[in-house]
Amino acid sequence: MHLIFIHLTLIKASLRRISLLAFLCLLSACAATGVREATHNTQLPRHAELTSTPFFPQAQYQCGPAALATALSAANIQVTPDQLTPEVYVPSRQGSLQIEMMAAARRHGAVSVRIPPQLDAVMQEVAAGNVVVVMQNLGFSWVPSWHYAVVVGYDLDKELLWLRSGTYERFEMSLSAFQRTWARSEHWAFVALPPGKLPASVSADEVAKALIAYEKNASAAARKKAYQAAVTEWPDHQVLLMGLGNAAYAANDLPLAAVTFQHMTEVHPTSAAAYNNLANVLLAQKYIAQAETVAEKGLTVAGDDEKLKSQLAQTLVEIRQSQK
Amino acid sequence: MIMAKRFLSAFLAASLLFTGSMQAVQAAMIGTEQVAESTISAKGAQDRAKIVDMLSRDEVQSELVKRGIDPVEAKSRVAALTDDEASNMASQLDKAPAGGGIIGAIVLVFFVLLLTDILGFTKIFPFTRSVR
Repeated sequence: MHLIFIHLTLIKASLRRISLLAFLCLLSACAATGVREATHNTQLPRHAELTSTPFFPQAQYQCGPAALATALSAANIQVTPDQLTPEVYVPSRQGSLQIEMMAAARRHGAVSVRIPPQLDAVMQEVAAGNVVVVMQNLGFSWVPSWHYAVVVGYDLDKELLWLRSGTYERFEMSLSAFQRTWARSEHWAFVALPPGKLPASVSADEVAKALIAYEKNASAAARKKAYQAAVTEWPDHQVLLMGLGNAAYAANDLPLAAVTFQHMTEVHPTSAAAYNNLANVLLAQKYIAQAETVAEKGLTVAGDDEKLKSQLAQTLVEIRQSQK
Repeated sequence: MIMAKRFLSAFLAASLLFTGSMQAVQAAMIGTEQVAESTISAKGAQDRAKIVDMLSRDEVQSELVKRGIDPVEAKSRVAALTDDEASNMASQLDKAPAGGGIIGAIVLVFFVLLLTDILGFTKIFPFTRSVR
């Protein structure tokens, strides 16, 4: 009897330990990773919501066009999901591909920028007035149910987030549930901005990459506007300066192109490309002698980069031909 | 039909090639992309080297055609991609998750998902409120 009693207390004690362990496991699973970082972020406003964001309820399977139309309309680019469907919808997959979502936004005149894969980045954008297109897997990795939605608001104290999602105009999710469903797309998210507006959470290098993709489909004036905003933010960034100079040249704004490339040769004196383009701008401005000096300087800077050397050599040929 | 598609994609690739060479002759200005490759990432340069060959563009286009996308539409879609993205395109079509609606999966796993929704692991049903 006594033995049995001892056994029972032992079992009870170990059961209690097991249940405590299970409870602790549950607790630690409560907050999805990244949620704490966001809710404790003092840089963020505690609450933000872009209530005037338009809403396009999705047709069957067509969350891609609906989400994209929402984001573009929020950026003052008037477009409907029906217009976007032939551009982003892949019938055989009953869905839209991520890179096509970004490409379609560019085709309609927006600058699409991937944002960092962090919850704070999403909130930073919303706080700055930019809605965020996110990809979620609302199911499991083994029963995927992929879905595009647009984050329009959040509340850090209530740990809630609001989306334009599917047929729901103001879909509410807990930050944890959102973080889990979003994590399955490897935290894929982007903003679609009108040229001249910059994302709030993205580095200069990433903005430069986004602008290079953007300018392929943009007018010279829009390119110039987009790069000008970026250069104002990052005045010495090599690629952004190159972009602004080239855009100004394409828009026939030679004075701006000259100033930009001149500045670039000063802050990046080893960039042969800057000298090459400055020489071309000077040539277009009919400053032939100066153009020749700059191109020669570029040739010495090019070192043993064969591609740059031949490009500078060609520029020099053109300059000397124009002297005749 | 396949022949017609092949012909069309070859034609589109050729027209891409033509516009490319026109730009190269026109300007001695160095493009922003060239500077970005050497400064931002060396990886970008490697990716580009793979797809310099114009034939790869042809393949990208025929891949799109196979997937039921209007070829003319496909051409303008490809035009909007960076070369970097274009090279990823064909493999993405098979690998990348295509975000569709939520209708397909629901019937199959209704009960499982309803339960996991409530536990906060998933969010299939908007009417559930997770307990976490």
